[in-house]
Amino acid sequence: MKRILPLLMLAALVCTSAFLAVQTVMAQDTITKLAPAAFGKLTRPPAVFNHDKHNEKAKLEECVVCHHGGADGKQDKTASTEGTPCSDCHKVKPAGKATSLQRAYHKQCIACHRAKGKGPLACGQCHVR
Amino acid sequence: MNAAYEFVTGPLAWAAWGIFLLGSGWRLYSMRQLAMKKDASSWAFMDLGFSLRSIVNWLIPFNALGWRKNPVMTVTTFAFHICLIAVPVFLVAHVVLWTEFFGVSYATLPDNVADIMTLVVLAACLVFAGRRLGQKEVAYITTGKDWLALVIVTLPFLTGFLAYHQVFDYQVMIIAHIVAGEIMLAAIPFTRLSHMVFAAFTRAYMGSEFGGVRHARDW
Ligand code: HEC
Ligand code: HEC
Ligand code: HEC
Ligand code: HEC
Repeated sequence: MKRILPLLMLAALVCTSAFLAVQTVMAQDTITKLAPAAFGKLTRPPAVFNHDKHNEKAKLEECVVCHHGGADGKQDKTASTEGTPCSDCHKVKPAGKATSLQRAYHKQCIACHRAKGKGPLACGQCHVR
Repeated sequence: MNAAYEFVTGPLAWAAWGIFLLGSGWRLYSMRQLAMKKDASSWAFMDLGFSLRSIVNWLIPFNALGWRKNPVMTVTTFAFHICLIAVPVFLVAHVVLWTEFFGVSYATLPDNVADIMTLVVLAACLVFAGRRLGQKEVAYITTGKDWLALVIVTLPFLTGFLAYHQVFDYQVMIIAHIVAGEIMLAAIPFTRLSHMVFAAFTRAYMGSEFGGVRHARDW
């Protein structure tokens, strides 16, 4: 009995940290809609985007296709930034010619759908009521 | 469905705008040629001051005698025309498309305000239709052309309202809405809707004739 308690505690610790690790890696699989806080109150229904299912169906293996990097007005298409919200770099009301947050989402999502001839193009296909 | 959407927002949109702009230019040009040939004396009387005086006076609700005679129609007409122009020009969804295709963006109406203004347009269309059916002196001079213009204007607003609220099949409705809008644009120069292009010149002509020839007001 004396040896079992520490063993149980160790097991619990391992499980918790493994769970937490999986949580951080797998957080994207819980995304089904996009409603970034940066917009405040949304004027449209949140866009449907089932992160993992979408990328599986669209056969997108490279995370950097969407999670690019960059700074000082220059996009870096090689630096992967998955986990960093778009709103960290794209402001709702940006200064100068920088891509606004709404424009960033629209451009990225719609440009690819247009190029592939598949995926939603019209407002209500993404902003589903 | 993507191919259909791409077609109506691409080639068909260019065609509609092309027909609207070139058609309007051509109608104005041929009207000018006709006026110079058939009514050269009035043409000589065209006067910028009298023209603007008439246009401005008719733009003020209840200012012109014609407006005071029929208050219901005056209110309906002003509300209708303001919403008819403001909604499509300043709608969020339309400005998002200008941004998507050409990178331009400008002021917009809040969605709920545009929604109400759309209902105002639809209600006005009903009033116009009721008048053509129920008022004898209007029914008497109503022709198929008047109904055609009314239907062409009603459809983009009706389908737009249904698409925005995602009533019925959205994908079908949004394409129907875009096509209805394009039909309206292309129809402007060639139907009763051409008064959009001619109204200012009609008023200018009347204003100049009354001001310069009869020395009277035309409002
Ligand atoms: C089709 C574009 C796309 C692809 C490809 C993509 N993601 Fe994402 N991902 C997004 C978007 C959009 C968000 C939401 C970010 C936001 O709104 O700021 C997101 C969010 C995330 C988040 C944050 C989850 C959270 O809860 O905050 C993680 C982690 C993530 N993605 C990981 C990945 C990984 C790993 C890959 C590659 C296997 C990947 N993504 C591929 C678009 C994409
Ligand atoms: C680490 C910072 C960073 C993150 C995170 C980031 N971006 Fe960007 N992005 C940039 C920079 C820098 C540019 C180039 C300057 C600009 O256009 O504002 C850019 C440009 C863009 C452009 C314009 C590209 C072009 O061809 O014109 C789009 C679209 C875009 N980002 C979408 C997104 C989306 C969607 C996300 C989230 C999934 C995202 N970005 C996340 C930094 C970032
Ligand atoms: C790099 C390309 C790419 C990007 C970026 C992209 N998509 Fe897609 N998306 C696709 C493809 C391809 C499909 C069609 C998949 C199929 O049906 O085979 C698709 C389909 C979809 C669908 C329909 C899913 C279904 O179950 O039928 C939605 C919704 C969607 N995308 C939303 C988004 C949103 C929102 C974004 C931006 C955050 C986005 N997509 C970014 C390629 C992309
Ligand atoms: C491919 C998917 C997609 C399409 C098509 C699309 N959007 Fe979006 N839109 C998004 C995403 C993703 C965001 C950012 C997250 C969110 O707000 O849900 C967004 C954000 C917005 C926002 C800012 C947030 C808010 O609700 O106030 C507005 C406004 C908007 N979209 C309007 C439109 C309009 C109008 C159209 C059609 C002309 C349109 N969108 C088409 C995906 C799309």
